[in-house]
Amino acid sequence: MISRVADSCFWTTRYLERVDTMARLLGVNAAFQLDAAGPEAGQWRPLVIVAGAEEDFVERLGADVIEDGDRVQEFLTWDREQPVSIYSSLRAARENARTIREVMSLEMWEQLNDLWLWINDRSTRKLYDRDADAFYDHLSKQAMLFHGIAYSTMLHEDPFVFMKLGRSVERVGQTARILDVKHHSLGDTPDDRESTDDAAAWLAILRSCSAFEPFFKRAANSLTGPNVLKFLLFEDSFPRSVAHNLARTGGLFSRLFVEDPHGRERRTWKVLQRFRSELSEMRIEDVLERGIHEVLTWVVETQAELAGAIHDDYLDPPIEALRRRVQVGISQSQQQA
Amino acid sequence: MSRPRVAASPAPLFGGYQPLGGSFDEYFDSRGEPRPAVAAIVSGLDALGHEEFRRRHKLADTTFLRSGVTFSVYTDRGGTERIFPFDPIPRVVARPQWETVESGLVQRIRALNCFLADIYGEQRILAEDVVPRALVEGSAAYRPEMRGIRPPHGVYIHIGGIDLIRDADGTFTVLEDNVRTPSGVSYVLENRMMMKKVFPRIFGQAHVQGVEMYPTKLREAMAAVSPSPEGSRSVVLTPGPFNSAYFEHSFLARRMGCELVQGSDLFVENERVYAKTTLGPERVDVIYRRIDDDFLDPEAFRKDSMLGVPGLVRAYAAGNVALVNAIGNGVADDKGIYPYVPDMIRFYLSEEPMLAQVRTYVCARDEDRRYVLDHIGDLVIKPVNEAGGYGLLIGPKASRSERSEFKRRVAERPRNYIAQPLIELSTCPTWTKQGIAPRRVDLRPFVVTGSSSWVLPGGLTRVALVEGSYVVNSSQGGGAKDTWVADPESRS
Repeated sequence: MISRVADSCFWTTRYLERVDTMARLLGVNAAFQLDAAGPEAGQWRPLVIVAGAEEDFVERLGADVIEDGDRVQEFLTWDREQPVSIYSSLRAARENARTIREVMSLEMWEQLNDLWLWINDRSTRKLYDRDADAFYDHLSKQAMLFHGIAYSTMLHEDPFVFMKLGRSVERVGQTARILDVKHHSLGDTPDDRESTDDAAAWLAILRSCSAFEPFFKRAANSLTGPNVLKFLLFEDSFPRSVAHNLARTGGLFSRLFVEDPHGRERRTWKVLQRFRSELSEMRIEDVLERGIHEVLTWVVETQAELAGAIHDDYLDPPIEALRRRVQVGISQSQQQA
Repeated sequence: MSRPRVAASPAPLFGGYQPLGGSFDEYFDSRGEPRPAVAAIVSGLDALGHEEFRRRHKLADTTFLRSGVTFSVYTDRGGTERIFPFDPIPRVVARPQWETVESGLVQRIRALNCFLADIYGEQRILAEDVVPRALVEGSAAYRPEMRGIRPPHGVYIHIGGIDLIRDADGTFTVLEDNVRTPSGVSYVLENRMMMKKVFPRIFGQAHVQGVEMYPTKLREAMAAVSPSPEGSRSVVLTPGPFNSAYFEHSFLARRMGCELVQGSDLFVENERVYAKTTLGPERVDVIYRRIDDDFLDPEAFRKDSMLGVPGLVRAYAAGNVALVNAIGNGVADDKGIYPYVPDMIRFYLSEEPMLAQVRTYVCARDEDRRYVLDHIGDLVIKPVNEAGGYGLLIGPKASRSERSEFKRRVAERPRNYIAQPLIELSTCPTWTKQGIAPRRVDLRPFVVTGSSSWVLPGGLTRVALVEGSYVVNSSQGGGAKDTWVADPESRS
């Protein structure tokens, strides 16, 4: 398929995943704030930090309001200039989708376009002011619904594969970022000295990943930092864990290789294989020893490296490389003749 | 107008309808009786009544907005998409009449194609002085670089849009030719889908010829002109999502099942065109380009074009890629060439033109120019190189200063202007805030040519929604109607 189209498929779902994640994070955090005690425990600034928006926030709104829940929520939900806000992510998802109408089903486009019209509707703003929970809940569910509609209405071919890749690659980074919220709020407490605040924070993280019930389905899991980390990093069967999404990414590339016999020679595959093997060799003890924040940073950075490789190999290959391939192809066919 | 009616509870929709005097009305004859082709439609709509009609109209608008059937407007950054104003009262053409129009359209496209092949080849028509050489070579759309380059299979006009109007006695008359990249067909298909949705019963009873095969016909035509007969890859080339017609580009690619590309998705190597794909470079054989000649290839035409593909013209000249439509077609739909089309038909085809066209004064001719300057108040003055209804003067409606301004322009650059008498475009009943009222319409049918020519039954009816207006362009307050080629006699 056309590289630019693959790029838009990939980014439509990445942006949509950001809508979903941010909506969940903000919704959960507002509820979490009611439970936790003490104004000294920073609860909103970490969200701004892991979103990568602290500098912009401080510059435009001021450092003194970064613990003001209403301001942070407003910023991360509605701010039109801040690219990580829900509003901006949804706009970007729709803009990408608009350039690939020809590969999406009508139902998918309508789903996304409806959501965009909805967030721009005056009554939606009223809903946000009156019942933010319902607002975030609607966003999350509608974002997820898009994937369900895609699954049932479009051809399961390359564009579909790139949409799924966008979601999986994005989740790897998002899950690591959500885990890192804890580091930025309460710090990395050694697990034998965890307080009720720590437990509440881990609980909020589980909820932010829709992992609350799945986590407790694992009988051995008591609510400690290492258990939550282990679950969200390594649990193969949980759809937002890092390991699950890397495995899924591998599976999606294997599907592309059916038509692309040289695919395994590309850098993307090498980065992905290395990422997976390093993660699979890692134990929770190693994570604690290296430091949680360091490991999560490594996940986020390697995810960025993977996304960069996908970009160069598939989504926007350098023109000189393409020209060389044409020349090689021509000289090969001449030799055969 | 008084027509006997069956007593019905809702007030009939056409109850207060008054056709304009002096124009042909598509629905009602001079005695106020519905024409045979629309009689059943009139009674069907009448029976709905205003309220129900309004409800269905609203349903259509909401559906268009939701599904993104929009065109982009450049004015502001925020809301850049609008729906094309849609009027749900169909324009109806009886089938026997349509068949003569169809033959006339095919004849005209054949002659225009011969003309392009000739002026970019031997130039017989110029040598024999049937069309003045200066007119052709002076046309801004003439591309001397294309001399001697024969497009694959000799087809220049794969898609032609010939704008038709109906004069006061209802005769279909050619207003202008569009053989560069005529647009609007997606609205024909979308409007049809909408009519079936909102008026299923009325539609079903009218025995309307289908339009849904357009994408298939276009795709076949593209395959027929491909330079490589096997495994040919066709793409639609768009300037991008900010183009006002982007919806249509995307729509056609989708319906034809081919890829929608932008200039930056293609590159030329060894005088062949390749697409950048996730598997690497892939050959492209046929390009349905929705980019004007000027922007197609910065190596050949405008150097500052960011939309085109460097080297595309070289690949085209080498015969390695087909462009739909060909480069340089604009010289054939130049308004200055238009007056000569009947002579072209006689010259190339040895036939008499089947379609009438509007009497046209060529300001470059001394005699015509004198007439135009003396009668400017009776004429419509059109610049030859503008599209979209811009820059024209409607003499009878213009102020004195506007007229003298145009006199000055015509005297200064006569080559740039033609003049035509004001044609009373036909009117069609149209929904307005004040109820149903007559509004002027034209018709853009589409002719698709590959190994043979095919005419889309009907076409895009554009309607001037502003009372008294003659300008139907969407950029200037125009809307669209579905066009039904209907066969009221047939019974399935």
